[in-house]
Amino acid sequence: MGQVMQYLLNGTMNGALYALIAVGIVSIFKSTKVVSFAHGHVIMFGAYFYFTFAVILPGAEFMPDWVAKWEPEWLLAYKEGAMMFSPKAAIAAWVSNLPRIVLGLVGSIICNALLAVVIERLFMRPLLGQSSLSMILCTVGLIWVLEGSASLIWSADIDQVPALGPNFPIRFQLFGDQVFLFSASVVNFVIALLLFAALMLVLRFTRSGVAIRATAEDQSTAYAMGINVPAVFTSAWVVAATTGAVAGAILASRNGLSPTLGLFGLSVLAVVLMGGLDSFAGVFIAAMIIGIMEAFTQWKFGGEYAEIVPYVLVLVVILWRPNGLLGQAEIERI
Amino acid sequence: MLTIENINVNYHHAVQVLKGFSLTVNQGEITALLGANGAGKTTVLKAASGLLGLENGHIEDGQIQLDGVSILKTKPHMLARNGLVHVREGRRIFAEMSVEDNLTAASYALTGRHKKADYQQVYDFFPRLKERSKQLAGLLSGGEQQMLAIGRAILAQPKLILLDEPSLGLAPKIVDEIFEIVRRINQEQGVSMLLVEQNAAAAFRVAHQGYILENGKVVLEGSIDELKQNKDIQTFYLGMGEHQDASSFRDVKHYKRRKRWLN
Repeated sequence: MGQVMQYLLNGTMNGALYALIAVGIVSIFKSTKVVSFAHGHVIMFGAYFYFTFAVILPGAEFMPDWVAKWEPEWLLAYKEGAMMFSPKAAIAAWVSNLPRIVLGLVGSIICNALLAVVIERLFMRPLLGQSSLSMILCTVGLIWVLEGSASLIWSADIDQVPALGPNFPIRFQLFGDQVFLFSASVVNFVIALLLFAALMLVLRFTRSGVAIRATAEDQSTAYAMGINVPAVFTSAWVVAATTGAVAGAILASRNGLSPTLGLFGLSVLAVVLMGGLDSFAGVFIAAMIIGIMEAFTQWKFGGEYAEIVPYVLVLVVILWRPNGLLGQAEIERI
Repeated sequence: MLTIENINVNYHHAVQVLKGFSLTVNQGEITALLGANGAGKTTVLKAASGLLGLENGHIEDGQIQLDGVSILKTKPHMLARNGLVHVREGRRIFAEMSVEDNLTAASYALTGRHKKADYQQVYDFFPRLKERSKQLAGLLSGGEQQMLAIGRAILAQPKLILLDEPSLGLAPKIVDEIFEIVRRINQEQGVSMLLVEQNAAAAFRVAHQGYILENGKVVLEGSIDELKQNKDIQTFYLGMGEHQDASSFRDVKHYKRRKRWLN
């Protein structure tokens, strides 16, 4: 039973990360009717920006030392005598990393937002009014543009970045069995959930949310009612890119930073299709199902199956419900 | 108020819909635009509200002016913020949003105008919307949805409303109710309107001026009283029949059935 809980927890944590990535694809699709195949690579750029601002920049000569390693007196006093791998040592290490983590997050969020604005203005806006297929194919092309420029700007080597939260092992008893977690994963999980929830609340309860939902439902009518639809499009891309920046930072700190991060984001597209392209709730459920399925397949059949079984489930679900779990069937309006 | 001069409109640079179309909406008046299916009525409204570009429509020649200023290049949302509101055919309410959120969406038309959204005014015109303000708009009846569509326009405090077939798919009693409100909005708020209709009898009850559109051209225009006297209008739009004795359409020779305005 404890074993089951262990994998259930692992799965949920992965699922939350999928949901955070999927949120970007859904928000772009809902307002612009474009499926962004390049979202994974936008996330990869977020990860590289995080690397730039959290690792490269603090190491630069002109930066004061405390940015790279912040060690005020009270921290040294707190750290004294802490055992290796103890929570105390991990927290102390995290606090001394905190300036560069914050710098990295802020920098990657801002840079990714700019990247989104550039993509939207340069590639999407001129295609407005054309069939959305041309925009979708344009995002496919963007994959290689982004991947290529990432390895040009940075290198294709695998690098390490600091985790967003203190990283120490947590062990506790559940149903008589040992359960084991990394605290960094818990922090990532909480960040992903909070971001997801915050977006939902904004969408549901604010006036801007009304404009976005109106645009999602009927672009031209929203436009004719005074809503600046192109601005809504831009903000959808910005929302996707900024949540993607956070997801990228989390992914890079967990799996290491490399250009293959983009492909991971691409695989989340399957999650989005399973949940329904236009449903945040559906996508959340799908992300959790896939995350948990992956964890359980890994446990029962081993790692090589973990990459297949959940996606077979995606295919089955799409056969059963072509628009995804909670997706809306396209109503053709005349 | 609104003047359309000699516009040619095509879709995809291939299908010509309007050919040298002109129309004027006078300040404070309701102008009716009548015509058969496919005549180009909705295209006229889309040309005025700037939505044509979204559907690959192009205005080749001519001029469209609102209060003497050309609006050919103005974006739809700026037109709405300048007081030109388009109530689209088929109501086009936001079905997955509550009635109140639908009105809130319309309040974006007040951006930059230093006016506050007056929900109460809408609810005074349509008390039924108030009862259902928290309901999903998609669950409203057809008549209520049309009321909501017009309510959104009222909330935007417009100078000019482009009203596209408000009677579409509604029971005669509801149509009367809607047109009564249309008349009140025009009289009490002084809002000018361009009304597109198939239901000529209903449109004639509220309009001051009328235009008859056929195959992208205006074939008849004038005050409503003049139009009501026109024999062709009586036959084709008001269903009165040219002669009392030859009342059945079946008895008319086939070549005479075609609408002929120029004889």
